[in-house]
Amino acid sequence: MAEYYSSFERGGVRWLLQRVTAVFLIGVLAFHFFLLHFVNHAADITFAGTQARMSQVGYFATMWLFLVTATFHGVNGVYNALVNQGIDGTAKRAVGAVLTLASIALIAQGTRVALAMTDLL
Amino acid sequence: MSTQIEQKETDEEAEAETEIEPAEQSNQERRLSEKRARAEANERQRREREAVRDADNDIRIKVFRYDPEVEGKEEPRFDDFRVPFHKGMTILDALIYARDHYDSSLTFRHSCRQAVCGSDALFVNGQQRLGCKTQIADLETPVRIEPLPHQDVVKDLVVDMEHFYEQMQAVEPYFQPDDLPEGEHEEQRQTPENREKVKMSTRCIWCGACMSSCNVAAGDNQYLGPAAINKAYRFAMDEREGENAKANRLETIEQEHGVWRCQTQFSCTEVCPKDIPLTEHIQELKREAVKSNLKFW
Amino acid sequence: MSETYDRGSVEDFGRWREFRSGMWAWIFHKFTGWVLVGYLFTHIAVLSTATASDPAVYTDTLHGLENLLVVRVLEVGLLAVAVFHILNGVRLLMVDLGLGLDSQDKSFYASLVVTAAITVASVPTFLAGV
Repeated sequence: MAEYYSSFERGGVRWLLQRVTAVFLIGVLAFHFFLLHFVNHAADITFAGTQARMSQVGYFATMWLFLVTATFHGVNGVYNALVNQGIDGTAKRAVGAVLTLASIALIAQGTRVALAMTDLL
Repeated sequence: MSTQIEQKETDEEAEAETEIEPAEQSNQERRLSEKRARAEANERQRREREAVRDADNDIRIKVFRYDPEVEGKEEPRFDDFRVPFHKGMTILDALIYARDHYDSSLTFRHSCRQAVCGSDALFVNGQQRLGCKTQIADLETPVRIEPLPHQDVVKDLVVDMEHFYEQMQAVEPYFQPDDLPEGEHEEQRQTPENREKVKMSTRCIWCGACMSSCNVAAGDNQYLGPAAINKAYRFAMDEREGENAKANRLETIEQEHGVWRCQTQFSCTEVCPKDIPLTEHIQELKREAVKSNLKFW
Repeated sequence: MSETYDRGSVEDFGRWREFRSGMWAWIFHKFTGWVLVGYLFTHIAVLSTATASDPAVYTDTLHGLENLLVVRVLEVGLLAVAVFHILNGVRLLMVDLGLGLDSQDKSFYASLVVTAAITVASVPTFLAGV
């Protein structure tokens, strides 16, 4: 195992980011659930209500950050679960590429959806 | 033994016929034979007493058997042994009894029988345990004894430990000071506090129970494993080694298949026969790595 | 060297009765993690179709979904999964910071209990008006 890695490939960054995003997500996910199931009942949600919420810049920014951090946390989690299972070599690089692309796609599409919910676009 | 005595008696009887002093010889010979008879009677009584005592106190052990070179043992199976129990009996005692009295082909590693050599780590009743340190009285019978999981079985309870040793060697498990003290007879001093800090991590006996219990080690073959990382901890945290050595050690264990693979499952800590808080040490190294990497300026 | 017997590399799930709390925590955290990631992608996909054209589509789609009992029940399941992942995640953060390592197994059982409590308490709200 003791192959020498370059100093830029330390695994610590993703580990730390996973924890940092986790802390943020605890708050935001709980907030999201609360707002959309307890404060407003999911069955009563209308486009008008959604638009009103998403048009507030602070709320919009929070939701967008929610999207980005959740995507990173989730996809990084999946990647690590697979590395723990022992994927290696080509399979690992392939999976890494696919997951990266999927994350970018998700964030892009999520951003478009978010913007469609506002009256800013 | 008894045949020898008989022969001796017949020899001496024959001799007595041709000897000049038959009276003395037959007296001595009579005394000796009486002594032997007494000893034999005592031995017989002792064995009978033991048999009676132990007859109610047998325990059953089921032992994993496998031998690719013997017909009939190419498919793994479990052998049942009935072993007389005595107070303080360990798994190792039971296995040795089974080997000595029932099947001398039963194969397992053992050496010191006092939990310092690390030879007899086994999978007993579903958990990794050290054979010489685990009391039969603490276990549910029948006791199920298997070789360590996640490693290739060579024969019966013997597993291939090469991978474990490779991971240990990968962290350079030996003292590497940056510089030696001035003067030929100067000692390399360590404060009691520093000793206390690394004390638990020095207790590793390389038994392999921790690595065998780790799911991540099972899935990811390149993972260093708790024992290797603990070894790295033992030296990285030793103040006598110096900053450079510590930085080097951190670099080794902060690679992708080093400390980051640990998912804090805690199985290693639970099964370690020397009670080393392995997960805690790994966590501390993760924090050290993050702190040293944050200082990118 | 003689042949060796390969007993497989992954912990045998048939021996689940022998698992300890730390292992269950790892398994559940992984399982709930996969569920949540799957949900994330699904959620964005559903919202994409709902915001495609005029606002009425959005409102109708959501109401249509929320009227189905199976969707309501799945939402309760989602809540349970998310709450467990959060609570066990907090436990893992504590472990990473080196706090409370002595009671890490008790904190796992606590997260299970609290998850169950919160899920049960939320059922009335979630199933209201179906």
